[in-house]
Amino acid sequence: MKSSKKFLAVGILILFLFATALAACTTETSKDKVEDKTKAVEDSKDSETSKDTAIEVDIFQFKVEIAKELEAAAREYEKTHPNVKINIQTVGGGDDYGAALRAKFQSGNEPDIYNVGGPQDVKDWMKKLEDLSDQPWVDLALDGILSGVTVEDKIYALPFNIEGYGFVYNKAIFKDAGIDASKIVDFASLESAVKELDKKIKSGELKDKYPLLEAVFEYAAKETWVTGLHTSNSALSQEFTSSLEAFSADKVEFKYGDALKEIIDLQVNYSSNSDSKAKLNAVDYATQVDEGIAIERVAIVQQGNWIYGGVSKIDENVAKNLDILPMPIKGAKEDSIPVGVPMYWAVNKSSNDADKKAAKDFLNWLYTSDTGKDYVVNKFFFIPPLKGYDGLEPKDSLGKAVKRYANEGKTMPWVFMGYPTGWGQEVLGVEIQKYLAGEVTWEEVISNCTAKWTEMR
Amino acid sequence: MKSSKLWFSVFVFPILFAFIIVVIIPMFMGIYYSFTDWNGIVNDANWVGLSNYVEVIKNDEAFMNSFIFTGKFALVSVLTINLIGFGLALLVTRNSKLNNLLRSIFFMPNLIGGLILGFVWQFIFTKTFDSIGGKLGLSFLEGWLSTTSTGFWGLVILMSWQLSGYMMIIYIAALQSIPDSLKEAAKIDGANAIQRLKNITIPLVAPAFTVGLFLTLSNSFKLFDQNLSLTNGGPHNSTQMLSLNIYKTAFTFNKFGLAQAKAVIFLITVAVITLTQIYYSKKREVEM
Repeated sequence: MKSSKKFLAVGILILFLFATALAACTTETSKDKVEDKTKAVEDSKDSETSKDTAIEVDIFQFKVEIAKELEAAAREYEKTHPNVKINIQTVGGGDDYGAALRAKFQSGNEPDIYNVGGPQDVKDWMKKLEDLSDQPWVDLALDGILSGVTVEDKIYALPFNIEGYGFVYNKAIFKDAGIDASKIVDFASLESAVKELDKKIKSGELKDKYPLLEAVFEYAAKETWVTGLHTSNSALSQEFTSSLEAFSADKVEFKYGDALKEIIDLQVNYSSNSDSKAKLNAVDYATQVDEGIAIERVAIVQQGNWIYGGVSKIDENVAKNLDILPMPIKGAKEDSIPVGVPMYWAVNKSSNDADKKAAKDFLNWLYTSDTGKDYVVNKFFFIPPLKGYDGLEPKDSLGKAVKRYANEGKTMPWVFMGYPTGWGQEVLGVEIQKYLAGEVTWEEVISNCTAKWTEMR
Repeated sequence: MKSSKLWFSVFVFPILFAFIIVVIIPMFMGIYYSFTDWNGIVNDANWVGLSNYVEVIKNDEAFMNSFIFTGKFALVSVLTINLIGFGLALLVTRNSKLNNLLRSIFFMPNLIGGLILGFVWQFIFTKTFDSIGGKLGLSFLEGWLSTTSTGFWGLVILMSWQLSGYMMIIYIAALQSIPDSLKEAAKIDGANAIQRLKNITIPLVAPAFTVGLFLTLSNSFKLFDQNLSLTNGGPHNSTQMLSLNIYKTAFTFNKFGLAQAKAVIFLITVAVITLTQIYYSKKREVEM
């Protein structure tokens, strides 16, 4: 007993000494750093007096996938604009970005360029949004693509890119099962194809070639954005023609509620958890994509062109064989996929004029200059939201598929950006989970969600 | 006398200053915001009086559900954590060469961050449990975290696993401070092991129970990161605990004022519950 106490005392003493020593060290090093920094600042001041005063553009953006490439693009821009310095900070994810951005603004350290997601964001951030209507890229924008960020004929943000989703399927599996995907143009043909494929999987016909294949679909009901935003959008985009219309709507009718149910049921009943649907509520993105379509465990998933990178890291051959089937809503558009803009670039109105000018110029350079375009298409793997990208085509299979639908005009808009804040994921997505768990009927889902929409407006 | 007062203020002032800056002032600001309709972006909050509180109490079913869920969780996890912790402490205070090794092993989970633990256990519950259940035909091991009850027990298991090692350390300290003479005397008087545990050990470690219960109770109520990473409230928000509910109100629904009101209610509840608990457990403590 006694000796252990002594040990403890000695231990604490040593720890204490260590801590003070370390603290002393760090103060010294940090002092050095400060000196270095002031020196650097002085140096740069010397060199800059010859040019203009230095302009720093702070970018706070959310797309993790392009963080490195965007950094490279910024360095490229700095080469031709030596008086501008661009700092990029990236915080990923939907909710997290919103929270981080608020914290950033509250801290007084406001960025010059940041991201907004649609009408609700534009309304929330209105006091911090610079009017960008006079920018050269405005005339180049694809039809209707700026509607979500237009308020009283003024345009407040530049679209990142176009993304599209639908039923992403594995062409090779379809071919081996003898199903012609080009014949799938409406709900009936999709359903019969799914049934046929299901029969072949269950009978073990495809076992030799695809040993892991166990179901047609995998449906990530845990990710409420997959169900509450993306699935629901296919039906609600037939009710509202744009996110703006959804945003100003006082109520939602679920005109195609039954068709929505059918498209959910189809994915559920032919998933690997069809016999215990509640289990789908634990299926997340990784299970659906990385451990689903990428390893050929399932043949179809409801996802978009953004999964290409992840799938190709796991199996390049699978990634190359992916294509997109339409998301048919019975009685409405049956041959189209939802295509839209996930996020926009905005310029902070409260920044000083020089910063604002540089920020606008950088965005303009990135999306309209030849170097910038090369980055956008070939490094970010974006499908450009602007015209004038002739000769620069997306190179990945899913990007091509989205582009194909866009060229054929077989698209429906993304209206989920116009849902009341949190309604899509926290209300509809959650209600769909309850529906899968068997706690509520579909009619209750519809009535609850309709009531909540009105309440939240 | 004078110099001791001087030294008192020298030592107290820095920490008091920090405490006021980072705890007291934000707390009052938070209380102020709970009376406004602030959306967290621009500083144009309007005074709305008590309407946030009325909204929370009258209309917010989700908040009430998380309140009940949190209460249930706190009750169960306080029991399991302290029982396991005390059991482990008894185990590693016996004369054995493995004591130190075992203590480190039991304490280890507490050194891992809650977020990571949540993801690790998510994998265990959804993948490992599922495949074991599938292979052995034990259906209760399948589909964990996809129902409310498995989500609940998942959280309880995770928290017990993480916190009981920490409680064990507290109980070890208390157990070791019991003089051997007392136990020996009881032994000579013919008390068996259970009687000794009940009549000597437990009364004498009562102060440690006060601390242990307080820590587990407040930790279980305030649980956030494990909840976020293990279930994120799913399925259908039925395993959403209070902190997560408040966070989502603020950062998903952009209702900072409402979230602040919830936070104030939460603060008062936790304070009342833990203070009551301390009052009652203090009464049970005995002086040696």
